[in-house]
Amino acid sequence: MKEQVVCKTSDIQPGEMKESIFGKQNVLICRTPDGNFYAFMNQCVHQGAPLDKGMMCGANTSQSEPGNYHHCRKGEIIRCPWHGREFDIKNEGRMLANPEKKLPSFKVRVEDENVILYK
Amino acid sequence: MAKQPIPLVDTDIHERVQYRELLEYLDEPFRHYISNCHWLQEKHMPYTQPSIAGVDRADAIVPDGRPAGSDLAFMQEQLLDDVGHEFGILTGALDPSPSSMHGWHEMAAALASAYNNWQIDKWLDKDERLYGSVHVAAQDRDEAVTEIERVGSHPKMVQVLLPIDDIMWGDPYYHPIFEAAEKHNLMIGMHHNEPPIYYGKWPRYFIEWHTLIPTAHMKQVTNMIFNGVFDKFPNLGLIMIEGGFTFIPHMMWKMDQQYRDLRHEVPWLKRKPSDIMKKQIRFCTQPSEELSKKDFTSLLEQMGTDEMICFATDYPHWDYDSPYRALPNLDPELKKKIFYENAKNFYPKIPNTREGYHEGTSCL
Repeated sequence: MKEQVVCKTSDIQPGEMKESIFGKQNVLICRTPDGNFYAFMNQCVHQGAPLDKGMMCGANTSQSEPGNYHHCRKGEIIRCPWHGREFDIKNEGRMLANPEKKLPSFKVRVEDENVILYK
Repeated sequence: MAKQPIPLVDTDIHERVQYRELLEYLDEPFRHYISNCHWLQEKHMPYTQPSIAGVDRADAIVPDGRPAGSDLAFMQEQLLDDVGHEFGILTGALDPSPSSMHGWHEMAAALASAYNNWQIDKWLDKDERLYGSVHVAAQDRDEAVTEIERVGSHPKMVQVLLPIDDIMWGDPYYHPIFEAAEKHNLMIGMHHNEPPIYYGKWPRYFIEWHTLIPTAHMKQVTNMIFNGVFDKFPNLGLIMIEGGFTFIPHMMWKMDQQYRDLRHEVPWLKRKPSDIMKKQIRFCTQPSEELSKKDFTSLLEQMGTDEMICFATDYPHWDYDSPYRALPNLDPELKKKIFYENAKNFYPKIPNTREGYHEGTSCL
């Protein structure tokens, strides 16, 4: 099994993200506000934008009604730095507007202070 | 034999000025109005911006914090060198937007002249790949002609930029602008500014406005054709910038059918509109919809030509089209037309070769 330490837990505060290298791949490590870590390919599935230059933010959810925004999920959504596409960190990196599309993801575990990616 | 890379002419790159940079190019009293009187470009868009960094790519903000598109060195690093452009056309225009000012045309004309001098000085003279657009205050037709006469012969100015806003430029009143452009081998580039796509008003949401921008482009193309611009100025070309291209077949069919019925009203039209479009009008591909190769090829067949569309990135804006990913995988010959030859053949002032040019330095 291939595995690798990609950063320390202290390198990324809750609500932040950071790029790293896993083998030869450029990966995005996200730490959601609850402190958990997630990892995705650091490239938008649309046109290849570097996702680490985007933003972790909330979403106006599908519970919104016309003319009335329902905003939540703070820090659980990645928005692409180019076209603004939204990906759900806690739902396998699925695109909000088209859940059939998702960011390729990696398994993550934390041991001591190490954030480890593995396949 | 190694695959030959395909060269790229990028037909829409937005350089950006900050007003303090324009001061040295402005005469008084106009300098005073900016430096002391806090003049700012009029803006109307009611929305917060669509993506996470205004209208820009978030990663295109200059590392020192200056706005995207404001620094040549960073543009070279992130775009021109990274992709390997052969040529890029600067389309500035958003700030200032001289032709979109709804009053104080003296200020608009002064800004246009200052902007052209700044563009030549800071961009065109600094990077041999970059070619420019003559900015004018076209609502003051005679001032616009004077400005075209002043800078139009610059070897790196390739077009006159007109906004798609609330003036229909095909009106005979504006024809002296086209006469001056044609005289200097300049094409006309049209780029939307704040198109009145909703009966002169803004729609409720940005997504509505952005979806319907092509309708504003269609209005100008229709207006230019039926006002007889292209037969009157047979060497003039028009390129529609940032409106996309998937509406082209509809326009060709519709205008041809209308022409067959209603030619009586526009007898100065000597050719059917679709023939005029094929010969004298080009469309930038960006912002591209996500078409399959089959749908893309079908569209070209409906146009009856693969020489009408030209690739554009729209760097550094949020809806940037990547040269690698925006269009479906195309056969090399077709790809070369869309990424290079169509634009190269359209602009008479873009040279066949440039110093330091090696065919296919791009990564395409």
